[in-house]
Amino acid sequence: MKFNFWYISSLAISLTIIIPIFTVFTSFFEDTSNYFEILKQTFFLEYIFNSLILLIGVIFLTFFLGVGSAYIVSFYHFPGSNFFKWALILSFAVPPYIYAYSLFAFFENYGTAFTILKFLFGEGNYNKHIPKFSGMFGLILSISFSLYVYVYLLARSSFLYQSQNLIELGKNLGFSKFRSFYTIILPAARPAIVAGLSLVAMETLAEFGAVDFFSVNTLTTGIYNAWITFDDLAFANRISFFLLLFIFLLFITENLSRKKARYHLEAKGGFKKKEKIKLNGLKSFFAFSFCFILFFLSFLFPLSQMLYWTIKFPENFFDLEIINLFLNTLYLVSLSSLVLIFFALISNYGNRVSNKKILNILSTLSISGYAIPGVILAIAFITFIAWFDENFVKSFGVVSIKKLFIGSILGLVTVYFIRFYSLAFNGIKSGYEKMNICVDESAYLLGYSKSKTFLNIHIPYLRNSLLFVVILISLEIIRELPITLILRPFNFETFATTAYISASEDLLEAAAVPSLCLIVIASFFILLTSKYILRVDNE
Amino acid sequence: MSKNYLEVKNVNFRVGGKTKVKNVSFSIKNKGDIICLLGPSGVGKTTILRTIAGLEKIESGTIKLKDKLLSSAQDHVEPEYRSISLSFQENSLFPHYTVEKNIYLGAEAKKPNGKKKLNPKKIIKLLNIEKILSKYPHQISAGEAQRAALARSLVTQPDLLLLDEPLSNVDQSFKEEIQVQLKKILKDLKITTIVVTHDSYEAFYLGNKCGIILGEKLKQFDDPYNVYHFPNSIEVVNFLNRGILIPAKVTGNNSLENDDLGLITGNFIKHYPTGSKVQLLLQPEDLEHDDDSNLKLEVVDRKFRGTNFIYTLKTTSKLLIPVAVHTHHKEQHEVDDKFGIKRPIHLEHIVCFL
Repeated sequence: MKFNFWYISSLAISLTIIIPIFTVFTSFFEDTSNYFEILKQTFFLEYIFNSLILLIGVIFLTFFLGVGSAYIVSFYHFPGSNFFKWALILSFAVPPYIYAYSLFAFFENYGTAFTILKFLFGEGNYNKHIPKFSGMFGLILSISFSLYVYVYLLARSSFLYQSQNLIELGKNLGFSKFRSFYTIILPAARPAIVAGLSLVAMETLAEFGAVDFFSVNTLTTGIYNAWITFDDLAFANRISFFLLLFIFLLFITENLSRKKARYHLEAKGGFKKKEKIKLNGLKSFFAFSFCFILFFLSFLFPLSQMLYWTIKFPENFFDLEIINLFLNTLYLVSLSSLVLIFFALISNYGNRVSNKKILNILSTLSISGYAIPGVILAIAFITFIAWFDENFVKSFGVVSIKKLFIGSILGLVTVYFIRFYSLAFNGIKSGYEKMNICVDESAYLLGYSKSKTFLNIHIPYLRNSLLFVVILISLEIIRELPITLILRPFNFETFATTAYISASEDLLEAAAVPSLCLIVIASFFILLTSKYILRVDNE
Repeated sequence: MSKNYLEVKNVNFRVGGKTKVKNVSFSIKNKGDIICLLGPSGVGKTTILRTIAGLEKIESGTIKLKDKLLSSAQDHVEPEYRSISLSFQENSLFPHYTVEKNIYLGAEAKKPNGKKKLNPKKIIKLLNIEKILSKYPHQISAGEAQRAALARSLVTQPDLLLLDEPLSNVDQSFKEEIQVQLKKILKDLKITTIVVTHDSYEAFYLGNKCGIILGEKLKQFDDPYNVYHFPNSIEVVNFLNRGILIPAKVTGNNSLENDDLGLITGNFIKHYPTGSKVQLLLQPEDLEHDDDSNLKLEVVDRKFRGTNFIYTLKTTSKLLIPVAVHTHHKEQHEVDDKFGIKRPIHLEHIVCFL
């Protein structure tokens, strides 16, 4: 049989990436410590209950914020509507844990809110009147204001692609605007909204920094504690398995509930440019206010809070080795992007040219890495390396590979690779999907080999998708916390880990500078991508 | 050594594990010949082209080009090494390059061995695509994309050119002109070509030979004239839809009889014993209009076809017979009129099936 480089490579990549899922599953065959007994009698139900409350709260709030803002911006024209359409995605630059620091710092006793009131109205006992946003409520707010962007972006693109005919049909049937919205517009955008909410659900269940900061016990913290406190990797993986199962069940339920409904019409050449409705007077004011308040609360508020502290405590700015942190972040971003792009390209091309069913299944499984919380991935990775080292490497009498992978850049980039592979794979895949297979075949018939077709035809064609993927990966890595925290080499810090460490030591003021840097860099990347993110514009 | 330029021998054409056309054999004798493959949608015409191009493999039979084995159960020359160009039905232009770049990539990709270099400008002009050269594939119409892809294929000057419905998206007004130009250029450059089409007139015009693919088989492979006038099976008659079959009884070496039309004389393409009951092929141009005749049939429909009217006439036994009459004929008839048929009926070729 002829050796098929592309097929074998794609297979190897997919197999590597599904290792953590495999590891999580095999935990059922291993002994655990008595942590489970302790947990069962104490916090286990609380973990599950808290995870559910958090999930429901965040899903409701992100649905309201994301769909509401997407609807207003897509269908109406009002002062600032063009500005808000991209400004509203900036909140993605603020990770939930940084939002949590800002929220806590603003409303805490003698915090920023107190200072403002004191400045405006003089001395007074304002603390008892200032609401406190901590615990579960603060957590829901922090995660929602950071993650509603997923729903906003997907709902908006769906709204923009909705046929004008559909909306005119509603008018023709005599529907009010509200009725048109919930009987026509909203159901047609359902797959997009659900996709957005699924991403939010995965990120929420995976959230570590904010959950840890507000000391809310969820399954994620349970996993972390099983590992940190009891050194029980098998049990940590077992909880992870339930978390994974829960996430997959959410997907399956939604998929089944759709039955055979279709949500779009293939109107070839029938796309009619949607005309935005111009709002005046009070309606215009409300639309503007909704978007502005959302923009303010989700982005300006945490940015101002961090800026305020940076200015108020300038010594923190000088104490921090900003250049070093920047270089570390840049190093991780460049290396990971390079590795991810390289392998995702090979895998995508392998899938395209070999068209094998097994490869398709493995690729689908391998992209589920994004659904696995970072904490689980990191722990599963350590488990696997320890097992592999114990059972294979040592039996061959070779030096332990633990040091090579745990607490090293290699290990860190490997886990980033597993976690963010779906972003790279899907980003490139969506680029490929627009390219008819005839294009490849035409190239072969023009005398191009498979490699030459890949290099001379595909790469130039995919360059925009590649750029978009690189920026997206960079954005994720800059914000990423748990994997970096668990697997980074000794004394190797990023803006995210520095902010977390300062915050966990109750030095919120010191967390401000790295947080601010993180927000600024992430905002820069978002602005770079906004052209692609908002490319569905037909405005 | 085979004398044929292209030889397809006993090949089962398969795609996705499913056999589309079985045990196909045909050949192209001379360099520069054009053959056309006709058949209904989904019958496997495109699969044949893709297989000859090397995009699909075969499990039996052989495909040879210029006496070189390209495909067999054991051997498979990859598409990039075949010097065969395939112009796809759908848009196969490189989406990130302009039309011009697409065409010049074709010109650069394969260096013709000892062939006179073809100036892409000539092809561009011929196919009337000068105005879209700077555009990207998504900015042009389907017909323009098809012509651009055709240009890209032509400039490679392949040993064998495969055209899959090359003019299916081209406007009707422009189609005939392109057909003429295309045939001229293929003949001038001596590019051996296989054209897949569902348009029988296009096939009859372009092809030196036509193949009819029906029900997983290559039913007939012959000159266009023979395919049209001497279809070799009822299936081919039905597919071409250029006439009807009526029951008749052979009454002699040169005659047969139909209950409604009476005696019909002519030259049998294939002889049947006297007394045989056969199905006689009647094509629209076989019967002549003559209102003085005593054979009168009822007009049930009249189709305007530019140069001709096609009358549909009902016989006493309720057969519906098509008759072509020049548009400018005297005494035009309307539906329900009586229409005279010249007697005795004499056919140049009598095509019958048992």
